[in-house]
Amino acid sequence: MLDSFASFLQNTGVAALFQDGAIDAVKIIIMLAVACVLLYLAIVKGFEPLLLLPIAFGMLLTNLPMIKDSSAIMMHTEFFTDPEFMIDGKYIDVGHICRHGGLLDLLYLGVKLGIYPPLIFLGIGCMTDFGPLIANPKSILLGAAAQFGVFFTFVGALVISALVPSIAWGVKEAASIGIIGGADGPTAIYVTKTLAPSLLPAIAVAAYSYMALIPIIQPPFMKLFTTKKARGVVMEQLRPVSKTEKIIFPIVVTIVVALVIPDAVSLVGCLMLGNLLKESGVCDRLAKTAQNELMNIITIFLGVTVGATATAEAFLTPATLGIVALGLIAFIFSTIGGLLLGNLMYVLTKGKVNPLIGSAGVSAVPMAARVSQMVGQKENPSNFLLMHAMGPNVAGVIGSAVAAGVFLSMFTGL
Amino acid sequence: MNVSESLRTGIGVTLSEAFGFGGMTTVVGLAIVFGVLLVLMIVLYLFKIIFYKSPDQVKKDVVAENASASEDEEELVAVLTAAAAACMNTSPKKVRINTYKRVHTDPPVWNRAARRETTENKI
Repeated sequence: MLDSFASFLQNTGVAALFQDGAIDAVKIIIMLAVACVLLYLAIVKGFEPLLLLPIAFGMLLTNLPMIKDSSAIMMHTEFFTDPEFMIDGKYIDVGHICRHGGLLDLLYLGVKLGIYPPLIFLGIGCMTDFGPLIANPKSILLGAAAQFGVFFTFVGALVISALVPSIAWGVKEAASIGIIGGADGPTAIYVTKTLAPSLLPAIAVAAYSYMALIPIIQPPFMKLFTTKKARGVVMEQLRPVSKTEKIIFPIVVTIVVALVIPDAVSLVGCLMLGNLLKESGVCDRLAKTAQNELMNIITIFLGVTVGATATAEAFLTPATLGIVALGLIAFIFSTIGGLLLGNLMYVLTKGKVNPLIGSAGVSAVPMAARVSQMVGQKENPSNFLLMHAMGPNVAGVIGSAVAAGVFLSMFTGL
Repeated sequence: MNVSESLRTGIGVTLSEAFGFGGMTTVVGLAIVFGVLLVLMIVLYLFKIIFYKSPDQVKKDVVAENASASEDEEELVAVLTAAAAACMNTSPKKVRINTYKRVHTDPPVWNRAARRETTENKI
């Protein structure tokens, strides 16, 4: 009887907390606290709750104290990162994961094999209206200019690697950090799981947190990089777009992107498939499923498993602080890139383009467009920029996917 | 692109490498992103040319339609004048059509009977 009770005590979480010493116990407690802070931000402050809440709870689950080799462990990050558990030290051993993995290990295969982000894009495609972009073709270039922060941060990450001896970021890590500037969670996850899986939790948390903070991050720079007169510009009404154009658009985009940058097709292709399901009008049932049930299921799987990779060893490092700082820089410079091209368009069109729509080129849809509307309306209460800003906003989704494709094609084989 | 061992692993990266390789990647990367979206922009302008009719164009079409409608009307008046003149055994020059009204193609029987009676009385 006493033996069983002693065995029970040895298997409790409290015993597990101190099994590797006091320092590891403190790390676990810090990680649980970080998870609770993120839960607070998601629930109370409403920061991207649909993703931040699952991410935070995944973080909580993976950091719960467990006795080593316990069958209750839901996530074994070593299966995906430790060469000892991999085939030829390089490829993940799916058979081993199926035999010995927990629930989150199995679900994480969807991230690791690159399944979830394209499926999220499928749902986003169903919810996106490319009409404003088709009506105002030049606004697509603002979606390209807003990728400036991605590449600027890529350089910044390499510079930090050169200056700080304890941080060893190569081009793969720098690319994964830079893509935060695309302001697109699934794209950031897709690039990072391929190029720098060990940075995945920090990058996902940074990307989604900053996306939620866009209404706070962008306005000061929008005012700094535009004149009062330019902010008050009322743009002329967009032309009506026919159904035929909306149907042909996703097909053409997929073909063009595939011809130039095939690595971006899994993301852009799924985005456009979703959009075609919606615009064709003959697949309503599929479109509804893709944008509701399927997307919600994938969002839960993606959030929880990405959060579950945030173990103390992976998260409590100086690199995480660097990623958080660089992520903010990436967002700021992406905003500035869009605004600068917006200003150029303002000058070239002799004041017909409001440069505020440039900041919407970061792809956080529709938040960035709403911020353009909000700042524009403060300057001129009768101004409605929302539809004009939606053009660069959806172009930003395509732009960040293409930027991701550029990084993947350059660095995947290294 | 050739990537040095230090840039690949992140160990021993120098500032010149960071700025040199980073700068080159930025130029190439942004050029590709702008290139792809520029192609799409051209495609979208083609959409506008092929599919979009401006309000001015639509107006012209409406005017043209109206013009052809008024031509049709003149022909109809000529036919009506000739028919009335033939019925009255007189010259078309002595008949003037002031107004005409399209009647229901399939009017009720009593309506047709009344109309026939009126016409016959007049003739």
